[in-house]
Amino acid sequence: MTAIDGRSTEDVPCPNCRQLVGVWDGFCEACGTELAPPVVSSGTPGHVPQCPVCTADPDAPAGGVSPEGYCEVCGRKVPSDRDHVEVDLGLLAGISDRGLRHSRNEDAMALATSRTPDGQVAIAVVCDGVSTSPRPDEASLAAAQAAVRELLTAARLGDDLGEASLAAVRLASAALRDVAGPDGAPACTYASAVVSQGSITVCWIGDSRAYWLAASDEGPPPAGHAAIEPDAPTRPVTEARVAMASAATTPSSLLTRDDSLAAELVASGLLSEEDAMASPQAHVITQWLGADSPDLNPHVARFEPAGPGVLLVCSDGLWNYRSEPPDLAGMALPKALTSPLDAAAVLVKFANDAGGRDNITAVLVPFPLGTQ
Amino acid sequence: MTQPAFTVDVDHNQYLPEGGRDVSAIATVISDGTPAAANSEPGVGSAEIIIVDCSGSMDVPQTKMAQARAATAAAVDVVRDGVWFAVIAGTSFAKPVYPAAGGMAVASPQTRAEAKRAVNGLRAGGGTAIGKWLQLAYQTFGTTPATLRHAILLTDGRNQHETPEELASAVSLCEGSFTCDCRGVGTDWEVGELRKVSTALLGSVDIVPDPAGLAADFEAMMRTAMSKQVADVALRVWTPQQAEVRFVKQVAPTVGDLTDRRAATSPQVGDYPTGAWGPGESRDYHVGIRVAPGFVGQEMLAARISLVVSSPGGPQVLGQGLVRATWTDDEALSTKINSRVAHYTGQAELASVIQEGLEARKQGDEDTATARLGRAVVLAKESGNEDTARLLAKVVDVVDEATGTVRLKKKVADEDEMALDTRSTKTVRVRKEQA
Repeated sequence: MTAIDGRSTEDVPCPNCRQLVGVWDGFCEACGTELAPPVVSSGTPGHVPQCPVCTADPDAPAGGVSPEGYCEVCGRKVPSDRDHVEVDLGLLAGISDRGLRHSRNEDAMALATSRTPDGQVAIAVVCDGVSTSPRPDEASLAAAQAAVRELLTAARLGDDLGEASLAAVRLASAALRDVAGPDGAPACTYASAVVSQGSITVCWIGDSRAYWLAASDEGPPPAGHAAIEPDAPTRPVTEARVAMASAATTPSSLLTRDDSLAAELVASGLLSEEDAMASPQAHVITQWLGADSPDLNPHVARFEPAGPGVLLVCSDGLWNYRSEPPDLAGMALPKALTSPLDAAAVLVKFANDAGGRDNITAVLVPFPLGTQ
Repeated sequence: MTQPAFTVDVDHNQYLPEGGRDVSAIATVISDGTPAAANSEPGVGSAEIIIVDCSGSMDVPQTKMAQARAATAAAVDVVRDGVWFAVIAGTSFAKPVYPAAGGMAVASPQTRAEAKRAVNGLRAGGGTAIGKWLQLAYQTFGTTPATLRHAILLTDGRNQHETPEELASAVSLCEGSFTCDCRGVGTDWEVGELRKVSTALLGSVDIVPDPAGLAADFEAMMRTAMSKQVADVALRVWTPQQAEVRFVKQVAPTVGDLTDRRAATSPQVGDYPTGAWGPGESRDYHVGIRVAPGFVGQEMLAARISLVVSSPGGPQVLGQGLVRATWTDDEALSTKINSRVAHYTGQAELASVIQEGLEARKQGDEDTATARLGRAVVLAKESGNEDTARLLAKVVDVVDEATGTVRLKKKVADEDEMALDTRSTKTVRVRKEQA
């Protein structure tokens, strides 16, 4: 059998029923098990059975934990698995952490991989619940779950990834209409990245970000380094190819532009970046996913980086503390090139050490795929 | 009959600053059961008693007694087939009117007609000892297996032939056994006296200044009673170990303090009596909890609020609302005041300053009366409580509504003063804002 992208195309046994399945099948034809399901940072259902505070207290009476996760004796919320979730799929890895100052983790991430005739694909979605909306933790989870499912299906079918990204964010938005209730519309940001053999397709709304972290940053970005040209919804996605720098390797750069007041002030030349980030409007987002969001204008862009590096998709709980691409590259690389999970842990620890004011989510995808 | 379900909807600002301890929440409880069956089964039934004052003053004027008879007959007509009922005449002792031998009858066209004939024979003459009337009602209810027990009590004067202790003791006996709505006709009775009965027996108290208004009032009370479906419902409040319930108050449709009526079922759980509920009924409660202080990023359950109904198989817990506390260093979150909590706090204050002001006026303390009733005017305006504002305007001249500058009227009709007193507990409801 001809080897494609270095891997055999022979059949392999299904992990569930051991029947042979095609190497890039999505589902086992015999037992129906999904062969490489997406992984979402929901944590395991239910809660830990014991309150750690009362267990450690010799005077505390014995008591259980309520279905909502509160100790029946002291009332404290017991830690939830979702407070710290690590996912390692080999091709990519990510960590979502509650941080130090929030009572729950309202970030969510979803990771998936797929093997297609054209090569492997890695998918990452990061959503950050808007704290001022009701049930933001439900929003981010619902959005990430809906989007990763659509992106994985599209990757398996070999669909155009830009169009698939737009479909995915629209499905995420529809999922949020379903979770809206009498208490209001849960809302979140959205950032997705689909990494294939030669390119990275990024889609975003809000202020969660995607960064390209180069294996080696050689000096300042060359002149003519293209700024992002976000895709207008009516323009065909294929036109939104961003010409990356013509240097031998693409230097570290921010691939997305926040939908935030601060970013708009900077873009219009009214404020310097430093002043804008220090202003109270720094985190006021101008676009979000939610049943109450006005017209959806997601941004889509495709990149073809030259040279090895790592794609980082993250929530503002990380970039608030360090936002310059070369600085992030300095922290995450070279470790991320071979051990993306360990590198994600470094980033999360850095953010917590710096104060942990917000939930922190970081997903790293070494590029080109499968070289680690 | 199916047991109704209760929903508990909690509205509050869950955010506390670092070290904060006080959590305040409004719990809206709605009973959403299906309407009761037309025929109650004998084992799980309703029972109604109408207690009519037959003291000598009821004949002054004679129309008063006549209207009381007519009102009682009107209420009897509303009693549904299958419901137990009885009529009691009250003087310085209590006497069964129907059934004449005591006990209760099952309502039917025939028994209702018999009862009305017996009521027609009511005559005024004698004293007033309300405690004795309540005791007879208690014994009468005890002759049936009915669980939904309600009484209407009518008086026209003071409880002259009993000591306050005797009345209090009778009230204590009856507490938890049946609910009682009290009405005073005319202006010679004592609001405070009757309010002690209605509060303890989880009912309403009101003035009917003109006897001609009795029939409509009695009919309305009996219709409300017929709509009740579940008896002896308690509001159950669970708190964590180191927390303390500071208060539990009903705040809509009327204000009433339940804090001292707590029955502790365990160190962390207390039940507060709320009487009987009918389908579609909705009441708001204001609950205040003090918790152990927390640090930023911590979350705790400050209280769990549910409803408890006793049933043959044991107490049933229906509905649940959670009161959460989350500590944050975001001042924008922790300093926000929940508008419904603020509103109901104002309504509760409105009721108490009215009662304090009227009491001060009776004692001749004009300065206190003016200050309290002035504050009442401000609160009534701020909360849009127009009914109370109108009642206040009959007792004080309002100089400046915004600052609460008022002057006590020199002449206030007794019935206006008493109407303000009895209706001071009626609140204006606020709904949760749609986000």
